[in-house]
Amino acid sequence: MDVGIGEYLALASILFGIGAMGFLTRRNFLIQLMSIEVMLNSVNVMLVAFNRYQPSNHDGQVFAFFVIAIAAAEAAVGLAIVISLFRLQKSVETDLPSALKH
Amino acid sequence: MSVWMLVSPLLMLGLGGLLVMLVDAFVDEKAELPILTAILLAVAGGVAAAGIVNYDNVALAGAPEYLTRYLAFDRFALFFDVVVCGGAALSALLAGGYLREHDLERGEFYILIIYAALGAMVLGHAIDLLTIFIGLETMSLGAYAMVAFRRTSARAVEGAVKYFLLGSFAAAILLFGSALLYGATGHTDLAGIGEAIEGGNASIKLVLMAMFMMIVGLAFKVSAVPFHMWTPDAYEGAVTPATTFMSVAVKSAAFAVMVRVLLTVFGDDLSASAASGWPPVIAGLAAITMVYGNLAAIGQSSVKRMLAYSSVAHAGYAMVGVVAAFRVEEIAVSSVLFYLMAYTVGNVLTFGALIWFGSNGREAVSYEDLAGAGRRHPLVALPFVIGVLTLMGFPPTAGFFAKYYVFNAAVQAGGGMIWLAIIGVLSSAVGAYYYLRVIVFLFMKEPQPGAPIAIPMRSGYVAFVMIIAGYFVMKMGITPGPYLDLAMSAAEQFVS
Amino acid sequence: MFAEYLPVFLLLLVAVGVAIFMFTMASLAGPKNMTPEKAIPYEAGSNTTGARHIRLSIKFYLTAILFVVFDIEAVFLYPWAAMFRRLGWQGLIEMVLFLAVLGVTLVYAWRKGALEWEK
Repeated sequence: MDVGIGEYLALASILFGIGAMGFLTRRNFLIQLMSIEVMLNSVNVMLVAFNRYQPSNHDGQVFAFFVIAIAAAEAAVGLAIVISLFRLQKSVETDLPSALKH
Repeated sequence: MSVWMLVSPLLMLGLGGLLVMLVDAFVDEKAELPILTAILLAVAGGVAAAGIVNYDNVALAGAPEYLTRYLAFDRFALFFDVVVCGGAALSALLAGGYLREHDLERGEFYILIIYAALGAMVLGHAIDLLTIFIGLETMSLGAYAMVAFRRTSARAVEGAVKYFLLGSFAAAILLFGSALLYGATGHTDLAGIGEAIEGGNASIKLVLMAMFMMIVGLAFKVSAVPFHMWTPDAYEGAVTPATTFMSVAVKSAAFAVMVRVLLTVFGDDLSASAASGWPPVIAGLAAITMVYGNLAAIGQSSVKRMLAYSSVAHAGYAMVGVVAAFRVEEIAVSSVLFYLMAYTVGNVLTFGALIWFGSNGREAVSYEDLAGAGRRHPLVALPFVIGVLTLMGFPPTAGFFAKYYVFNAAVQAGGGMIWLAIIGVLSSAVGAYYYLRVIVFLFMKEPQPGAPIAIPMRSGYVAFVMIIAGYFVMKMGITPGPYLDLAMSAAEQFVS
Repeated sequence: MFAEYLPVFLLLLVAVGVAIFMFTMASLAGPKNMTPEKAIPYEAGSNTTGARHIRLSIKFYLTAILFVVFDIEAVFLYPWAAMFRRLGWQGLIEMVLFLAVLGVTLVYAWRKGALEWEK
């Protein structure tokens, strides 16, 4: 089979969909964090694939590098928040009954 | 004058943030951090303001390519530098009073404010999908950490969890939209994308999907209904100076990028008309945001939560101006800019007054906490009264002209946009109820027997912020002309 | 051919039979008094403690956060190293600035005690 841009777009969309479904259906902070990482990485696949069809520049690949770096920063902040959450409720579930519900 | 003058606000915050980090790490006495941070931000904002005034004398033509390729140094961006720096400087001073009073003083807060403000400013300058994403994440990561700042409080952590998860999700959606735009057009710079779309060289299906995803991502950031779920929890859980910062700087920067993306990328006739493209989408969002924000604010018993819903409603009013921009660019964009400026000083004033009424261990959050406080401390209640009046849009305060200009822009746009102005006027009339309720509690109620009585904190920082913000609220309400001219000159470039 | 292996099979049979006989006789005829001492996994070793699922200390998370942040920055070093000659002095200066910023943040983390294991 000849792999063209359509296949890459399909792969990225499926990955993004898996991430989005995981984010929306699971209620464990760490799993939701991982789902967001899957979504960001699906974008990386897409950026690099699109860049193949723009041989004159490397904008897509550069973009992907920055996405990787920012995803790491996001994971760091997320892990810091999950530590605070765990210290308070001894669990990383995000839908426990809490102070903010009325 | 050199282009570096226009770049220097960004550089000052970037390097100044490192300086504050070193001071925080090596100096044990933390007393000077709020002042250092506020001076840094105020100087950066002042340089940006000087840049707007002397803009025509600046030689932009010879600017190095690595500066101008990803960031624009136009009046529009400098305007947001001023608004963001001003809001951040006042929030830092409020934090100086609040954190000390409530024994939360830690240096990280000021570093987070500086870098979140830097991210917000980059968003205002961004003319490339890459810098939009970097600016957005720099700003948001700082804001998430600021919400979680009081980490022993369940409310703060829960607000941060919601804000972080939904914010990151929104950023991922926006990023997917960006990648689609890049795939459809082969460009990451906004102008290049706009030209490719206008020239018909892009798959219209991909472009529409990308536009939809970018609007969803930005709607999260400005907390437009139905993407506002995180707003009340994050705003209520965060320490109040962080709430102030989020509601003014983060929101303004998100509007900056929304206006720039919609007008430069999707400004062609196909994407922007009364019946197709983004104007009907944003108009719908604006209408439900105004109605829902105001109705939900009525039912709140906590003033802080009420102000969170009020900030949702204000996002709706500003979006009315954004919608009108597809037809009357200059009037509409300048009305949005004026709105954000007036909203910044008004919101700082109101949140600052709420902070002022809290002393150690007794933070004022509910209406009941404020009962009778105005009669006991009229001088402290005065900024609160002016603050809610300007948020309500009562003349002669800044909020009145802000609302007047955005609704006027919708009327000027005509053809199918007038109903939006009517909804705006009606829903702000509804809003008068919960704003006036604050004044009623301040002056006409007595505290329940045995209930704790609000005692204002003693803080020169907070008092100073009240004077500055109060001055601008009244000044922009009595003589709005110069400020509107400033907004007009910043909006000029979008005239096609 | 099978005849050659017959003694091996017989031997196996006898061995299994003897084992079964001995276990059966022991359980039928032997005395049974169970003591807690006999129930533990290692009667003569040190006592085992804790649950099977060990929770890692939260301190690992802090280290992990710092690692993730500083490690990923290498993503910018590789492209720079690959293009070192073409980027020239400007590239070198930019990379030194980048690393200086990282250095300041590392100093900050160190002074704030984020690198201490025991806190």
